Amino acid sequence: MPKSYPEVQLDALRELANIGSGTAATALSSMLGRSVNISVPTALALPLADVVDAVGEPDAIVTAVVLPLVGDLDAIALLLFAPEDASVLCGLLGVDADSEVGLSALAEIGNILGSAYIRALTMMTALALEPRPPETATDMLAAIVSSVLAAGAQETDVALLLDSELTVQGAECSLSFMLAPGKDGVAEILTRLGLDG
Amino acid sequence: MTGESEETMVRMGELSVSRTPGHVLASIGLGSCIGLVLIEAQRPLAGLAHIVLPASSSGSDAVGKFADSAVPALIEQMTAIGAMRSRLHAVLVGGAHMFALESASSLDIGRRNEQAAREALARAGLEVRAAATGGNKGRTVRVYVEEGRVTVKEPGEDHVEIFSSLQAAGALR
Repeated sequence: MPKSYPEVQLDALRELANIGSGTAATALSSMLGRSVNISVPTALALPLADVVDAVGEPDAIVTAVVLPLVGDLDAIALLLFAPEDASVLCGLLGVDADSEVGLSALAEIGNILGSAYIRALTMMTALALEPRPPETATDMLAAIVSSVLAAGAQETDVALLLDSELTVQGAECSLSFMLAPGKDGVAEILTRLGLDG
Repeated sequence: MTGESEETMVRMGELSVSRTPGHVLASIGLGSCIGLVLIEAQRPLAGLAHIVLPASSSGSDAVGKFADSAVPALIEQMTAIGAMRSRLHAVLVGGAHMFALESASSLDIGRRNEQAAREALARAGLEVRAAATGGNKGRTVRVYVEEGRVTVKEPGEDHVEIFSSLQAAGALR
């Protein structure tokens, strides 16, 4: 029931996110046939009330792909696209973002990125994790992020989000990839990295 | 008509009360969370709690976060600013089923939040006078303290008034 996380733990989580999103970027790159850059990931450990504002404009409309992860711990991988970025991305894949096919294409991107991210996480922590089928929703950013975080908020008032930005080269298109560990998830990851307590 | 009104954001797990005419309490983008509104219809007294989960546990001392603790806490804060408990009207907004996430720990939090809020209100003897709950869309709730008005907005839709003190007063006669 942590009130916050020490810097050394946040560093380790950031490094984990870096490797995870690097693997995810490689997967996206081979899917699109373009290079994909990743930002330095942020590890947000904030009071629950502050998290949504730290992610973006609460009432901005975004398309989200949610990928529940189950196994040794519960976590949720979340991809957020601005509507313009979703269109560009779907365009690169030759589908219309506003169609059923467009949404399944985004869900598939979520699936591939999430699976790549988890592979890296599994290799670093020896945690057994597997993704459940992805779901998509288009709604206010606050509604999506708060619903994702609610699951992990029972025992702690500090929300942890690992956030990476992926930018597709030459396409003016970026997306956020986030990992929100659920109940006990952060503690379990830190234990596996030898950084608990 | 209303000019620039001061708006207080009530974010995840927070609760806020006001007796300032012209004041607006708001929660942007409620998903599975519940916006619990209490209004004293006769006077400009209103409160809003942004409930995240149904039931409290030892790990958290944030009273606004859980339905079972937020309801009594908001009633207490309302009476502390002068509201009469017997005149409080309750309005519920949110509790949507945003994703059909399968993991057991997150099984339909929206519906459980609404149920827990209704139970806690019933225990406190308060009636739910209006509600915009369920479904799978996010909602923004605004509470206009002076008029005792509650509006709800879903993405791509207009603001819809779901409660006003005037109507409530009319209904009582």
